[in-house]
Amino acid sequence: MTFLLRLLRLCADSLSIPLLAPVKHRALVRMLVQREIASRTSGTALGRLWPLLQPALQILGFWFLFAVVYDMRNVRGPGFAQYMLLSMLPWLCFSEVLVRATGLFREFSPLFTRSRFPLEVLPTMALVMPMLVYTPVLVLTAMWLLGLVAALKAVVVIPLLLVWTLPLVLLCAVAGLFVRDFGQALPFVLTLLMYLTPILYFPDMLPAGMRIWLWLNPMSDWMLLIHAWLNGGVLPLESVARLLALWLLLLVPCWLWFRRTELHVRELL
Amino acid sequence: MVDSGFGNKVISLIGVGKSYRSYTRDIDRALEILTGKVRHYQYDALQPLSLQVAKGEVIGVVGKNGAGKSTLLKLLAGTLQPSSGQLEINGRVSAILELGASFHPEMTGHDNVYLTCAIQGLSRQETAAAYEAIVNFAGIGEFMQRPVKTYSSGMVMRLAFAIATHVDPDILIIDEALSVGDGVFARRSFDRIMEFRQAGKTIFFCSHSLYQVEALCDRVLWLDGGRVRAEGAPAKVITAYGDFLQQESAIVQPPLVTATATAEAEAEAEAEAEAASTATTVATPVAAQAVPRVMAVKVRVDGTEARVHAVQSGKSRIEVEVRFLSVAALPVPSVGLVILGGDGRYVASMGTVNDGIALRAGADLTGSVMVTLPDFPLLKGCYVIEVYLLCEQGLHIYERVRQVAELNVEQRGLELGIVTLPHQWQVL
Repeated sequence: MTFLLRLLRLCADSLSIPLLAPVKHRALVRMLVQREIASRTSGTALGRLWPLLQPALQILGFWFLFAVVYDMRNVRGPGFAQYMLLSMLPWLCFSEVLVRATGLFREFSPLFTRSRFPLEVLPTMALVMPMLVYTPVLVLTAMWLLGLVAALKAVVVIPLLLVWTLPLVLLCAVAGLFVRDFGQALPFVLTLLMYLTPILYFPDMLPAGMRIWLWLNPMSDWMLLIHAWLNGGVLPLESVARLLALWLLLLVPCWLWFRRTELHVRELL
Repeated sequence: MVDSGFGNKVISLIGVGKSYRSYTRDIDRALEILTGKVRHYQYDALQPLSLQVAKGEVIGVVGKNGAGKSTLLKLLAGTLQPSSGQLEINGRVSAILELGASFHPEMTGHDNVYLTCAIQGLSRQETAAAYEAIVNFAGIGEFMQRPVKTYSSGMVMRLAFAIATHVDPDILIIDEALSVGDGVFARRSFDRIMEFRQAGKTIFFCSHSLYQVEALCDRVLWLDGGRVRAEGAPAKVITAYGDFLQQESAIVQPPLVTATATAEAEAEAEAEAEAASTATTVATPVAAQAVPRVMAVKVRVDGTEARVHAVQSGKSRIEVEVRFLSVAALPVPSVGLVILGGDGRYVASMGTVNDGIALRAGADLTGSVMVTLPDFPLLKGCYVIEVYLLCEQGLHIYERVRQVAELNVEQRGLELGIVTLPHQWQVL
């Protein structure tokens, strides 16, 4: 009974502490966001526009390549450029968050090794800037490609994706701290994963023998969900259930690992 | 466990220890966390320590480098977690450990105030309420909208100190720096900490300046090799610690050379003495504008003024005259004088505050004081005189003038020791 209670308490903490950290420490999160913006944009002519311009220009580049140069609208059908662009933005956000998470402890070490800094805020810091940057870009892209209704729906896509990414952020933060090679290898792994995710192709274009990857890869579920949601289609409940189950399954151990690292982190850095 | 006997306990350490772990490879750390199997070597920075601190107590922490002082302060400040034991702190802690460490150079002073306060746990409203006082105290109002990277190091320090002491802490932790910056700000920062003391805040004060520790603290903790070597009344602990240091420095330190020493040798000996001695080695603020400063020191032995003197033990009359410049905005300072032996040991000291002498400054803000040592009682040896200009309370050092004179004392008799005590013989 005691074990069960402890387990329940642990699960509750794993859910509540990291998710409520941005609320509990909102003043700090706000200032850290300002700090990050200052770091990224200081001395530039366009200033605070740059964080937004970077993904937007990337998307324009993809559009130019696939829609104009390769003229994929004719090769793959009229919806392909839309599909690709609306898949690519969440993917870019997802991969940027994970790559950044691997250096999260080192990035913030000057703060938490010298002052009473709440470490539970760190995962939030990996998520909040990408959310602020990619959400408006996705909304504008959805507006451009699909219209107002899709744009309104797009508001929730990036925040939900990032909340789902939280356990992976915790995992990458700790792994990146202890195993330096992890941070070096991750971009390559993410590139491979991108090719295994239906972003640059429709899911049905994958050869039948490789469809198992779609089932094994949770990002495929995200692509299905995002397009169904933005296009007003029926939400694939199987994907929703799978993503939710995976999230719950990962969050508790990842949070535990993160917390148990705290003692080491302050000594190591 | 030591109990202060005070009510309103604000800090409780029960068997709190800190060990640092060392791993051959980084991945061993991750594997240990995952599997629970020990893969590290460890060394103890702080042995299990129990301590109860009441509200309003001022606790001094002394010890040599590596004794565990900083580890203890970091545990109290929350930047380290204990490896064992139970640490409880009731109240907001503000630590003056590494001033300006949380500042971001690209952000403005204004934003850095809000960032640092947010790290301290203050809401925006609380920070807004304290903001004006912080800016006024730091005295850099016109720079607050500029990036901190454009500040001088002194300005950064002033702003950081202002924040640390304006977040309304219940417990203030000070590592070494009792006075921050130089000139007027050093005095203001010192006064600010005195205000905390008078307001009944709890203060942890770690310093190599034994004089200040003894003067300010209610209780002193002496750490050595991560263990509590002594704990108790300042006079008792500081005396024991001073003796310990003296024994150590006697082993490792060559005696100071006499008047023939070259300037280089003097500087080297001075540095060694400062590192190892029990001296009042607070980094002395350079006398800058708008702070009291020493204008001249004259040392006369039997009416002759010089820097190097031959002195007759028990006969010579020594006069030390100190001329100083006061500042209108500050109370007239006090003067202290220290006589050091050739081994750097403090042989004797005297101060106007201690002797109840109030100094005066004239309309031109200058003043003078002279102390006379008749029938100089020290026995043969080489001695050095240092002069201090201090605040009116005799705590904050405005200026330290080293080696104002060297006294080469000779004696006729065969007495041993360093001093002739007043005495009478009676044949019974």
